[in-house]
Amino acid sequence: MYLLKRGCLSQTRDDWGRRAFLRAGSLSLLGMNLADALRLQAATGTAKKGGKAKACILLFLEGGPAQMDTFDPKPNSSFRPIATNVAGIQVSELLPKLAKRMDKLALIRSMSSFGDDHPQAVHYAATGHLHNPAMQFPSLGAVVGKELGSANSMPPYAIVPRWESGRQYQEYFRSAFLGPDYDPMLVPDPSKENFEVTDLSLPKSVSKAVVENRRAFLEVVDRGYRTKMASAEHAKMDKFTQNAWEMLLTPGVRDAFDLSKESQKTREAYGLDPVGQSLLLARRLVEAGTRFVTAAGFHGNSWDTHSNNDAGHRDKLTPPLDRGLSTLIDDMRARGLWEETIVIAMGEFGRTPEINPALGRDHWPRCWALALGGGGLKTGQVIGASDERAANVVDRKTSIGDLFATVYKAMGIDWTAEYMTPVGRPIKIANSFDDATGEPVRELF
Amino acid sequence: MRAAVWLIAALAMAQDAVSVRVVPEKVVLSGHGASQQFLVMGRYADGSERDLTESATLRLSDAGAGEIRGGRLIASRDGAVKITAEAAGRRASAEVMVMRSGERKPFSFPRDMVEILTRRGCNGSGCHGGVKGQGGFKLSDNGIHPKEDYRWIVEGGQFQVLSGEAAGEKRPRIDRANPEQSLLLVKATMEATHGGGPRFRKDSDDYRAILNWVREGAAYGEEGSGAAARVTRLEIYPGEIVMKPGEKQRLLVTAHYASGATEDFTHKVLYASNDTGVARVDAGGVAEMVEPGETAIQVKAAGRTGRVGVGVIGKATASYPRVSANNFIDEEVLAKLRRFHIAPSELSSDGEFLRRVCLDLTGRVPPPERAREFLASRDPDKRRKVIEALLDSPEYVDYWSFRLSDLFRVSIFPVGINPKWTQDYYEWIRDAVERDRPYTEVAKERIGAQGYSPATRHYLPYLVIPPPENMMGEQMRVFLGRRFDCAQCHDHPYEEWTQDQFWGLTAFFGPMFKLGGNPNSVIFDFPNGKELAADVPSPVDLRVVHPRTKKPVEPELLDGTKVAFAENEFPRGKLSEWVTKHPFFAEAAVNRIWSLMFGRGIVDPVDDFRSTNPPTHPRLLARLAEEFRRGDHRFKHVIRLIVSSRVYQLSGEANETNAADRINYSHALPRPLDAEVLLDAIADVTGVRERFVVGMNRGEWRGGKAPAGTRAIQLMEGDIYATPFFDAYGRPNRFSVPERDASPKLAQALHVLAGTTYNDRLWAPGSRVYEMHRRGASDGEIIEEVYLAAFARKASEEESAAIERLIAASEDREQGLRDFLWAVISSREFAENH
Repeated sequence: MYLLKRGCLSQTRDDWGRRAFLRAGSLSLLGMNLADALRLQAATGTAKKGGKAKACILLFLEGGPAQMDTFDPKPNSSFRPIATNVAGIQVSELLPKLAKRMDKLALIRSMSSFGDDHPQAVHYAATGHLHNPAMQFPSLGAVVGKELGSANSMPPYAIVPRWESGRQYQEYFRSAFLGPDYDPMLVPDPSKENFEVTDLSLPKSVSKAVVENRRAFLEVVDRGYRTKMASAEHAKMDKFTQNAWEMLLTPGVRDAFDLSKESQKTREAYGLDPVGQSLLLARRLVEAGTRFVTAAGFHGNSWDTHSNNDAGHRDKLTPPLDRGLSTLIDDMRARGLWEETIVIAMGEFGRTPEINPALGRDHWPRCWALALGGGGLKTGQVIGASDERAANVVDRKTSIGDLFATVYKAMGIDWTAEYMTPVGRPIKIANSFDDATGEPVRELF
Repeated sequence: MRAAVWLIAALAMAQDAVSVRVVPEKVVLSGHGASQQFLVMGRYADGSERDLTESATLRLSDAGAGEIRGGRLIASRDGAVKITAEAAGRRASAEVMVMRSGERKPFSFPRDMVEILTRRGCNGSGCHGGVKGQGGFKLSDNGIHPKEDYRWIVEGGQFQVLSGEAAGEKRPRIDRANPEQSLLLVKATMEATHGGGPRFRKDSDDYRAILNWVREGAAYGEEGSGAAARVTRLEIYPGEIVMKPGEKQRLLVTAHYASGATEDFTHKVLYASNDTGVARVDAGGVAEMVEPGETAIQVKAAGRTGRVGVGVIGKATASYPRVSANNFIDEEVLAKLRRFHIAPSELSSDGEFLRRVCLDLTGRVPPPERAREFLASRDPDKRRKVIEALLDSPEYVDYWSFRLSDLFRVSIFPVGINPKWTQDYYEWIRDAVERDRPYTEVAKERIGAQGYSPATRHYLPYLVIPPPENMMGEQMRVFLGRRFDCAQCHDHPYEEWTQDQFWGLTAFFGPMFKLGGNPNSVIFDFPNGKELAADVPSPVDLRVVHPRTKKPVEPELLDGTKVAFAENEFPRGKLSEWVTKHPFFAEAAVNRIWSLMFGRGIVDPVDDFRSTNPPTHPRLLARLAEEFRRGDHRFKHVIRLIVSSRVYQLSGEANETNAADRINYSHALPRPLDAEVLLDAIADVTGVRERFVVGMNRGEWRGGKAPAGTRAIQLMEGDIYATPFFDAYGRPNRFSVPERDASPKLAQALHVLAGTTYNDRLWAPGSRVYEMHRRGASDGEIIEEVYLAAFARKASEEESAAIERLIAASEDREQGLRDFLWAVISSREFAENH
């Protein structure tokens, strides 16, 4: 017998039938009927301006957490649900610290997205659009950066830590046709001992006198060429060079990246791992003027527990999430940043209701959960619901586009906007199911 | 005011005309009410022609044969008739034959109604012809699907992108009981609110035509008697317009039918200017020049588009320079420059040429000794000789393998994660470059790759065969330069590509399989007519399904040919034969090569050929493609032709007439060096090589480092060598069809000022300046050497003196030399190819 493969799972006869079926009508089979679609369309006509949030931190749970073992506890989880500080809301016992701060968070338990494997799903989560090799779509962070612009010479959008492997994910978080101005600044892992954002401070060998000397040399060397070749590119580069000098010479910018300005106590409270330190750095960046930070401490598909799901969630994954996010909430509140910063914790999909033979859980995009808060959103509530195994959405199906629209609304951005690509295709900045425009989650406002 | 100026200009011209002629000079009109628009063109002493139609008088030899209105003859009686034009005191005539003037054509919805919907802009891609229609009413763009248009009008309902089913309430857009209340009419006349504004008035011919159609029962009528009645092409006269601001030109549009017949469509098309700031066009087809610049006027009718290039020139140069042509490239480019009154720049200096040609053929700046030798040589044939030497060099193989690796997406993740596969794939490309293999063979091997062939590996990104529509889209974009992808979910909004064509092509990729486990898996196509084993699905399940009709799609070529397969025949093999024989193939290839030499394609972007994105030099493109075919589809032949042309060798220094030109190759435009090339150049000039470290924590990559001495352009696994330099300078990731963006960015500016690449190698042992300093070289010697290495020229005396003064004024000599070297590699002259 031949083993036929197409995709990472071996195909059975049923799979082949299903493949044709999916290809034929995946978009019209999302379970959303026409009335829903029309309602969505109608709703977008109403008030398009919203809150006054100034920044957003996306804690990205790369690999996809198991919804039933985290924000949507169910009987098919090995872990108990525990009470929270909001009556009637329970979370998994793996999140004891967050349970005490449930009033600061809202849980959406009816997220539904696309992408059976990580690249496709991360692309969808980052941009709200299905992966298309012929096109690149701007990510949420790039749109926010473009709409709100930078403040205090800070880069508008950053990813911390940057991907050292799996760089394709990083691509999905970029600006696409919005251009390099809105690409994320890629920050190395701040939990590493030798953490340094090299290009943001002049090397020690370059003193003020050296800077002056170099400027003088450059003026002489480039004068002839620039006289001969006037070019718009040169003017653009000069503008960037001017900005670069400002950034290099503005202490605020450098300091924002300097974790040594934080007490050891604070650093430990966040956790000395990549998750905690990237959240701490995210807070510093937002404080200094950055609009959007993807805190990506869970690299290497950390949450992708195809084997030993329970041990992974219990021992390795939920502790830094619980600690880091809880500390971030407390710290931001103490500094008066919480009401103007949206914080989201989400992966690219959820995990299967069943435990597989390797004691793991596999990919599950159709129903999953996330947590968000801050930025003036109404928290202490649960939105939407899944069935008894967290396998299917039973109430209030929510798309990535709806989530994006929520973020935009909270930041005062018109979520119904469309951008035109260079080839003239309109792209919704909040793209929901079936080509509809995303709708802000109304319960949050 | 403008009209008055124009009138004076016209009068002045009219006085100078040496002759006039009528266009067309001979025409046959057939059928009831057939008409023909005529142009009266005046010829002037300088060889130019101007439209005198507006001031001309036209007369018929037999006044009863028809009526003339605004230069348009509406025939009423069979027979031969002569039409005489008088303008500027001169006469010319044309012959007209009128036939079957009593025969009325039976009504045809595709012809008679769609014409109105097109001409009035109803079915444009910005309105109801958009992907999803407008306000719930969908028409096919430019009337390409009249049957569907008829259904939406007569039956109503709301269009859905990915379903053949109509949504919403079915409300017809016509009202047979009360024809005047038809939505089609009340919307267009703004009796009902219409987002698109008024399209015609109640007293217009179009209103009456639609009303009568509804009154008579709104029949579909005649299909147009089959394929012969299909319009295949719209031709516009004149074929190119070059005029001054304020001047006018009436356009003449002729439809060509599949049957070979032609018909005057001047008054049946929609006119639009791509840039109304340069030239405007009115609904009747009279174009008026506005400001100097270049644009195109589009016409649309019967599902077709046509276009004419418009150049609005400033003042004509009194003394146009004589420029000799090295080959046909120069003939084409210089001829257009001359028509546009743009003078080309001077020939480049030797240093300028050497640096440019070395970068373009080998991706390297010339070493200083080479530059010194070339500058000193008095051999009149030295440019040709250096081109030949470069084409035969191993560096050429490095560089063009890098170029093709970019296009073919050589990297670890897009090529199945297995380093061996990446290496095999790369070696396959390198071998093709080294032997200058015909590109047709390379394309066939890549498109139709089967079994263990190295070229199959790009079909396994992340070890998974991608969806067939993605694979098809990429191959067509790479090899035909077309982006069919827009037609995946809907008919292409601007082009004549339909969704059916998209899925027909996709079907060739349907039967692909991966067989066996990783890392020994092979790709093959399900053998036609075979079943592998009882427990394996039949090939029917593998057929690609059309997203709208939900029916399996048979492989079908772009021209509508359905392909039948013999047993064991492989669809992609057949497709690759068709692709490589298609005229698009050679055009797309030479256009890519051209863009690498000039920084822009003759069609630009290089993989976006479409009628609305026309070539700047159509004949040049055709002749290059012809040469490519003639030379057995080998790259070197075309590259040699290009770099040998005078146009390629022009200086970057602009003159008074050409400074604003960006698209006509009147002077060399500076292009930022690509990330890899720039990094290699910094290493070459400073004398400190980059050591590439795998940014990935896995033991299987050879020791985590690329071998010492590896250049950036030699890295075949670009995606695992992550450096901030590459990211900042726009190296594509090769996860999708790459588009490089080397334009300036903040991250570049930061890296130049504070980054390791620019700071850590200024004074390293073994480096160029450090070693010269140690050997006791003088400032002058060091300056000369660095200038030759970086710019392939010597510093001018003035530059040299200024630099020496700055070195002397520095804290110490060491510091001065370091800062000098930093300035050289940080300069724009260094960071650009010019």
